[in-house]
Formats: sequence, structure tokens, C-alpha cells
Amino acid sequence: MSRKSDDLEKAAKSANVKKFGERMIPTFCSLCGPMMGCGLNCYVKDGKLVRIEGMKESPINNGKLCPKAYASAQWLYSPQRLKYPLKRVGEKGEGKFERVTWDEALDIIAGKLREQKEKYGPESLAILSPQARTYKSYFIRFLTAHGSPNYGHSGICAIQRAFGFAYTMAAPMLGMHGSDYEHTDLIVVWGANPVYSGTPMGTLKRILDARERGAKLIVIKPEMQPDAAKADMWVPIRPGTDGALALAMINVIVNEHLYDVAFTSRWCYGFDKLVPHIQKYTPKWAEPITGLPADKIEEVARLYGKAKAACILAGNAFDQTVDSNNAVRAVGILIAITGNLDRPGGNIVSMESTMPIPKPVNLPKRYTQDLLDKLVGPEMPGCFQPFIEGISSAYYRCLDSVLTGEPYPIKTIIAPGTQPTVITRGSKRIVEALKKLEFFVVIDVMQTSSMPWADVVIPVTTMYECDHPFEAPMGGAGNWIMARNKVIEPLGDYKSDYEFWLDLGVKMGYGEDFWQGNIEECMNYQLENFGMTMDELRAHPTGIIYEPKPMVYEKYDEFLTAPSPRLSGAPYLPQGKVAIYNTSFEENGFNPLPEWVAPPESPTSTPELLAKYPLVFFDTHTSEVYNHGWLHNVPCLREIQPEPWIHIHPDTAKARGIGDGDWVIVESPHGWIKVKALYFPGIRPDTIMSLHGWWQGCDELGLPGYPLLDGGANVNILYSTDPDKAFDPVVTAMPKQTLVEVRKAGTNG
Amino acid sequence: MSKQYGFYYDASRCIQCRTCEVACKSTHDIEPGVKWRRVIEIWSGEYPNVTRTFFSLACMHCEKPACAAVCPTGAIIKRVEDGIVVVDRDKCNGCQDCFSACPYGVPQFGVDGILQKCDFCIETGREPACAVSCPAEALNFGTLDELLEMKTGKTTRRMGGTTEPSIVIVS
Repeated sequence: MSRKSDDLEKAAKSANVKKFGERMIPTFCSLCGPMMGCGLNCYVKDGKLVRIEGMKESPINNGKLCPKAYASAQWLYSPQRLKYPLKRVGEKGEGKFERVTWDEALDIIAGKLREQKEKYGPESLAILSPQARTYKSYFIRFLTAHGSPNYGHSGICAIQRAFGFAYTMAAPMLGMHGSDYEHTDLIVVWGANPVYSGTPMGTLKRILDARERGAKLIVIKPEMQPDAAKADMWVPIRPGTDGALALAMINVIVNEHLYDVAFTSRWCYGFDKLVPHIQKYTPKWAEPITGLPADKIEEVARLYGKAKAACILAGNAFDQTVDSNNAVRAVGILIAITGNLDRPGGNIVSMESTMPIPKPVNLPKRYTQDLLDKLVGPEMPGCFQPFIEGISSAYYRCLDSVLTGEPYPIKTIIAPGTQPTVITRGSKRIVEALKKLEFFVVIDVMQTSSMPWADVVIPVTTMYECDHPFEAPMGGAGNWIMARNKVIEPLGDYKSDYEFWLDLGVKMGYGEDFWQGNIEECMNYQLENFGMTMDELRAHPTGIIYEPKPMVYEKYDEFLTAPSPRLSGAPYLPQGKVAIYNTSFEENGFNPLPEWVAPPESPTSTPELLAKYPLVFFDTHTSEVYNHGWLHNVPCLREIQPEPWIHIHPDTAKARGIGDGDWVIVESPHGWIKVKALYFPGIRPDTIMSLHGWWQGCDELGLPGYPLLDGGANVNILYSTDPDKAFDPVVTAMPKQTLVEVRKAGTNG
Repeated sequence: MSKQYGFYYDASRCIQCRTCEVACKSTHDIEPGVKWRRVIEIWSGEYPNVTRTFFSLACMHCEKPACAAVCPTGAIIKRVEDGIVVVDRDKCNGCQDCFSACPYGVPQFGVDGILQKCDFCIETGREPACAVSCPAEALNFGTLDELLEMKTGKTTRRMGGTTEPSIVIVS
């Protein structure tokens, strides 16, 4: 459709930059990850960022943006910005600091790391994962240079899905970025949220366009989020039971012969073993687990099985459940046996573009079995490492080792752009670990909830205050590269995350691995495959777009034999076929076929808890205005969601004397929070939905912050961290499902 | 009147992502508590057969603006050249009669008590930020003639109402 109105377009151009005294500087956003950042046009007046708009030249966002990006000038100039490095002067947890210089801060950190490397070995250092943005490669490089394997990966997003799809069909991104919306007849959005996640990046528009073309939309999630409001069928599943639904759908599709016989016999391994295995997982069996009527499950299975072409967008719900590896493999099997793998309208393996791939920053060639064996708490069992991000320990287990000393205690944790106090489960235990931890470094642009326990705090630039890195797709699937341009001068005594790791590398004596601290050389090294320097790239203000390669379907010979990133380089799939029956899992003592594993607490797995905790509790991964533990201090976002909340069905609330907007106590077997009850007619009446990441106040709106533990609004204190029940044994996924009771605050709490 | 600018709104594509709302606030640096554009929702039905519909709401630059008709100081002006309804904030006395008159609850009052509302981004000299930013392409802008002629593959019409809102909707 035309978006231009000639007169206004002319007016816009004639109301030129001169008239307003503004200068336009293109750059790209880094507020979210792991996708590429959106292109931004930034308008600067008197050295201040005054206005932002989407960059039309960027193929990522085509001139569109999201609320978070539009609010980012308030974020940039927030009074909570960290302006200079700090060192602790009070007790851990007190939050008393004094100002030090960048160089002094680095000396303190380097001194401690050298001392501990000598005393405890280099593996005593762990660095926790932020939202995946390019700077993570720099600290993974630092870890390798230092000799530690302990990249503490958070395991709340994407890697679990990538693992399941990789070891089922050698296509890690298949469930996340593999839907062929333009040619499909049926889209299944499953535990995903294309509205709040990557809003301007195309998925949402492609789904809406497909709907208008006539494709049907099924949305599977416990509450009617905006995408479900547009669905032809909303499937209000009970949280954490997606794996049970997927198994029951396989049952229907197999028993009603809705599968693709030719594809299954040519390209799948172990279908014959699936048939008897799946018999017990009937829709009737799944009904009490999922809370969905058996006939609804049959209907969904038949719609998916009978569609000429259907695609599944599998979301974050699959990453945060103890059933993760099973559930993802079951979805992979659904895609494969229905003949929707790499076919028009199905889940496809995307084509690379003609763009070269930048030289990697991390150092995978230096991984050794010896290094791998030193992992403090492997995210995946050693036999499946390294995976696509390298070798990793589980985020939670790095912290837990501080308390248990098993197999050895981590002595230094660096948290760059991540807040262990609100992001992983078991916040009470996390706080204990931070108290006991010998040395803790926080790196961020803003005050964080974990900062009070820090020994050193390193402030870093926002995306507006530095002139690097360049943006290119991680892993090569994409066709745009752009150099970051500095929009304003830094507001304090700090540098970028990238420069921090280079500087620390030099201080530690690893200068040869860190371009002797020269960021320009570091950028130029990565760009060698492009045959240009950062300066030459910068000469293209909005970057360079390369030709995409035309789509080729049914590339089975090519991708089903892909090598895995393991040290051996062995292929993901020993048979070169879709692993319905997974011999790699079997050899290492895991279920070769997907099974159902119930959450640690649920109506069917712990019915004895229902008398005291009758409701299922869950939290959604993101929202239209917040980004995990960040952005709650930004006024124009905070006023949209001013207070921490739960969504509750009006009948469920009224039965407890709870009015719309009342403050309530939500109590699980593990802790309690105090939040606002919002009536939500589109939620399962047995389920309560909340949002993680609440702790921060917003001074401009006079809104308070909230305690991290009991009585605050941090949902992560509600969940089980039982070592036997709360971890997927293959991918260490931790559940975000529990049972709770809700009561009006003020009466008894 | 030579021409009339207005908005196009397709509720079937609006997903309450709030981009229009925050784009507006950020572009005009609007104070807390005041929204020139906001996305509201309407629920109907009973679980599980519920529906949830969204509406992105701002000044509709009506052809017969009720706000202007009741304004005692002549602070609300309907521009002859483009039909955009603007506020002369020096003339506004903060009586809020416009708020009572507007059928859509559009007029906003901040700390200074003076009327503020959507000016179609004419102050910024750019296209309306809400419409150009919409990731769902639910919102658009143009002259009413352009919007009615726009090829969307859908049946569109002027929104009804006594004030004749300058809005083209999908019917």
C-alpha cells in the first residue's frame, strides 16, 4: 500500500534539518537480542539526541521501530545511568561505592584475576551471558585466552530450541526463523510472541500478510496475547505442557495416517520405533495434563496434519521447561513427518546471501577436551559440547557452585549486561551466592538489581555513544552490514563493552589476542573477508545490502549431513536423516524418543499441593515495553505498565474477593510476591500469568522499586530449583511453572 | 475546503504493540500522563470464546470538530488549507469544554492545564510518526481522497459520526 502523501512528503523534506538545527546520524539499535539490530536515524541538536526514527534503508526494520527504541532517548539520559567506574567500600549488598578511574577499575579486576588464576586455576572465572549481542564474543574470547571454559549461559532463550532442532534435523534455527509464511496455508504460533519480540523485524508483518492472503493462524499459549487475538483458533494450553500436546498430536497424525509416507521413509530415521512409542500419548491422555479437551487436541492435530503446507513458530515457552529437549524434538518430528521440512510453506532452512561472513571473534580452534572437562556445570552434557555458541556452563550452576563448592567453587563472576538477581531462578539462593562470592563485577549502562553485591562496577556506552562495532548477522544468515556511528559523546568516564574486553585483555598480558587494545584493528580484522576496513565500511552511512540467494527447497542432502560444532566435528545426524529415533541421545544415556516430563509442580504431577496452591503460575518472557530486568525506569514505557502485575480471570479473582487492580499476594511453595491483579478475560481460569524482571523504580513518575526477595515482585523466587526436578538433563532448561494461591493484600499479608 | 488530511486505520492488523503511542510521545517529548495517541482494547464474550479488539485513538481532525465549536476563546482552529485541527495554546484558557464535547475523549491536559493534542506532526515538519512507524501497517495517513483510493484489497469507508472524523477504516 502507498505510504506516501506527496504534499506531506515534500513538507517533510523542506522542513529541513537546517530549520531545526538538527543533524541526522544513522546508527543501529542494540536494545534487544539476539537478532540483528534495527537501523535508526538519530537527530542530534546541540550535541543532544532529540529524536529517533526507523531507517528505511535497513532491510531488518524497513523504517519501522518498536516502543523500546522510540523510548531510548529517555533511557540514554536516565538519571540511573552509570557515569563512572565504582569500587565497593561498604559490605557486600550495601551498595556503597566510591568513584575510581577506568584504568584503576581495570587494575583491580586484572589484579584479582591474576591472583585467582594462580591460586585456583583460570576456570575459577565465570562470565554470565547477557542477551546475545555481538559483545558476548569478546568475553568468550577473553575466557578462552584466560583458560576458563565457564561461559555461564542463561538458558532462558533460544539455545534449548536450537539444540533440539539441531540434533533432530541439523537445522538449529528451524523453529525460530524458519517459517515460510509467504507460501503457507497454516501458521502455528506456539509459545512464541511475534508482537512483543522483534516487533518491527518482519515476522509480525509477514504473519498478518499471510492471514490476509488466506492462511489460517493457530496460536497456542495460556493467555490471549495480541497475536492470539488475531488467530482463527486460540489453543489455551496449560503452561509447561507443550510437550504433552506435541506428543498427542504425533499420536493422531500417526494413527490417522496423516503423515507423509514417502518423506518419512526416505528422510527419517526410526519412524518404525516411533509408532509403538507414541501409542500411550493419546489425546485423552493429554487432556488432563494440558487442560485442553481431547477433541480440541485432535482438531489441532488434524488441521496441522491435513494442511497442504504448514509452518510452526516455536517460541520461548519451549526453553523454560524441564521438558524442553523432549518438547522441541517432538515439534521437530511433527514438522518432519508431515512433510513440512524445507518445503514451500513449511519450516525451511534459510539460504545464505552473497555477503561474506565476518571473521569470528571467539576462538573455537583453541577448545580442547581438557578445557571442556573443566566446565563447572555443563549447560549440555560434555558429549554435546561445544554447541553453536561455544562451550558453556549453565548460568545458574555457575552461581550455585559458589555455595556448594561442587565440583569446585567459582571465585569471580563477571555479569556484563545481565542481572542474576532477577533473570535466573531461585533468587534467594542467587543472593546468598553473591554474598559469598569472592569477587563480583557488574558491567552495564544502567544501575542494576545485582549491583549492590558488586566489588567493581564498570559503566559502558549505550549504542549512541560509540562508533563500533559493525552490525552483521550472527552466523551469516542475512544480507546487511553497517558500521555503527557515534551519535553523541559519552556522558561520563567510560568506554564501550568492546573496548572493555580489549583493555582488560591487554592488562592481563593477553594483548596479542586483543589487538593490543586497538579497537579499529579489531574491527578491521573481522572485516578482512569483506576486503574493506571499518573506515571504508563507514563510508556507506546506512550500510551495504548484498543480494540474497534465491530460495532452494528440499536441500536434504546438504543440511542433514551438516557437521556439529563438537570437537570431533561429527555430523549432528549420524544417519544423515531426521533423527526421529535419536541414536546420539541413546548412546549417551538419554531418551532416544521424546517423552513427557511434567513440571516440578503442576496439577497432574503434584496434586497433593492443589489444596494449598490451586492455581498454575507462569511468566511471560517479554512485553511491549520492557526488556527482562531493564527499561522499567523509562517514563514513557513505565506509564504503560506502571506496576508489577498478574493477569487473572475475573471469575478466579471474584471467587477470592479480588477486584480489578487490587494489590494481591501470590504465594508458591517457594516464596511470595506482591503485585497488582489485572482482570484478563482471555486467560485460563486455572492459570495466573505474570512478567519477569520487576525490581526497578521510576523516579520521574514517582514509582517505587521492589524488593528482590519475598514481598517484592520478582517472580523468580516462586519457582523450584530442586536439583532432581528443576533441570532438563540435556539442556539444563529450568522451569517457569509452579502452583500458587492468590489473595488480596492487606488482609493477611 | 481544498483538501482534508486524515488517518487510515485497519483494526484487523492492529496488535497493540504501542509503537504508535510511544513514537508520538517521543517525537513530541510529551510529559508523563499525557497521551496524544493511545491504543485501547475491548474484550467481549466468555472464556474460552473471547474476542479482543484494539483501537488506536488520537485526534481525528474531524470535518466538523465539536471541540472547536464549543471553544469559548477560539483556541481550536481547523486549518483551511489541509483540514488539520490545531491548538493555539496562547488562547486556550484550560476550561476543558472541548474535552466534554469530543465524542472520543481526545483532548489532553498536562500540568499546565492547557489543551494539547495531535497536530498531525506539522510542528516537526515530518510525516506523522505514529503512521510511519506502525510495524503492523495498521495505521496510515494521507488526504482522505488518497486514503479512500488506496489499493488495499479491502473494502474501506469513512468512519461515521456527527463530527465527521477524518478517518478511513476497513469495513
